[in-house]
Amino acid sequence: MNTYIYDDFLNKGRYRRALNKVEIRLTDLGLNGKIIRLGSIKNVKEVIQAEIKNGVKTIVAVGNNATANKVISAMITNKAYGFFQKDVLFSIIPIGDNNSIAASFGIKKEEEACNILLARRIKQIDIGIAGNNIFLNKAEMVSEQAEVKINEDYILEINKKTPVKIINLNDDAKLSLGQRIDPYDNKLNLIIEKKPGDTTFITGDDFKISGQGNLILDESIEVPLPVEVGLIKEKINIIVGKDRIFI
Amino acid sequence: MLFYQISILKIHLLGGVRLFKSMFNKDGKFEKFKDAETIIGSSIKVKGNFHGKGDIVIEGMLEGSLKTEANVFIGEKAKVGASVEADEALINGEINGNIKVKKYLAIGKTAKITGDVQCGEISIERGASITGQIIVSAENAKKIEIKKSKEEEEI
Repeated sequence: MNTYIYDDFLNKGRYRRALNKVEIRLTDLGLNGKIIRLGSIKNVKEVIQAEIKNGVKTIVAVGNNATANKVISAMITNKAYGFFQKDVLFSIIPIGDNNSIAASFGIKKEEEACNILLARRIKQIDIGIAGNNIFLNKAEMVSEQAEVKINEDYILEINKKTPVKIINLNDDAKLSLGQRIDPYDNKLNLIIEKKPGDTTFITGDDFKISGQGNLILDESIEVPLPVEVGLIKEKINIIVGKDRIFI
Repeated sequence: MLFYQISILKIHLLGGVRLFKSMFNKDGKFEKFKDAETIIGSSIKVKGNFHGKGDIVIEGMLEGSLKTEANVFIGEKAKVGASVEADEALINGEINGNIKVKKYLAIGKTAKITGDVQCGEISIERGASITGQIIVSAENAKKIEIKKSKEEEEI
């Protein structure tokens, strides 16, 4: 049984056509299931917990990065998920802008997402955490004054405007050293690319960031500094496409 | 003309001097740069104890200590105020601190070292500056090689 979680913004008329296409395709493939609209519910966590207890096999976020983040966050923080984790899969049907998570899964278009759901190619990946929030792809910031303490051992000082990315699952095929980022290795990678030939690459599982500015998770959630960034190992089973960015 | 500021108390040149070994290419660049476990870029400053198991490349600034079971590459513009311990190393930048390399240490022409150096084998390019004691003993390196081959036989 599949449950599809539709984000609020899909109520807008301009997404109706894309949703119709998805619903028709899912019906054709025999994948239709329960639809839950985030706009009509107050407690996402409770609703997802009930679905897991009722034996849902796949929870599908329909929307963008923010939708995926909300759904995964609600999934992994409830008690039922810990018990049924191995049996529950997660996937995305990308609609609208800001869909880098789906792109990293190898899912580019909504109709293609339906076929990928049917193929059920499964990978178990780590999840990043920043404070009380989670991220699948990356946490990033551009700060002029910040310090990153890594694994309690050493401190990286940032004094000039520098783009810092802490990546779990790479969504950028052009990123230098991006091919070395592995969402199964129980590690996060910090990458700073100021200019070609000036790259910093550090592997760790605990990054304490202090200074000015915000950390942006999965291009959708802002977390003010200071914040501690870590990892939950092998936490989620995802359905991915052949063209995913990772192995 | 070679110009070294070396106060040498004890030098054992038991090992042969080779210019560069397999980890470095003809230009003295670290060959597996992209495979290094850690890379500190030229615009980055790091403070603290930097301990790892894989290859480490430092192009920026480091203060504290640097230790790895594998190789270290210190770039031309790097400034390291730290003790350095590694299996093999290529140094092209500035180091203020003691260096301990189990096997082969290559010191490039742009290197400026202030501190004691201990290694299994060494090569020093013309133009490098070293202020400190240098101990080169191939025995240490040989012991490691023998131990490794014994381990391989057991496997």
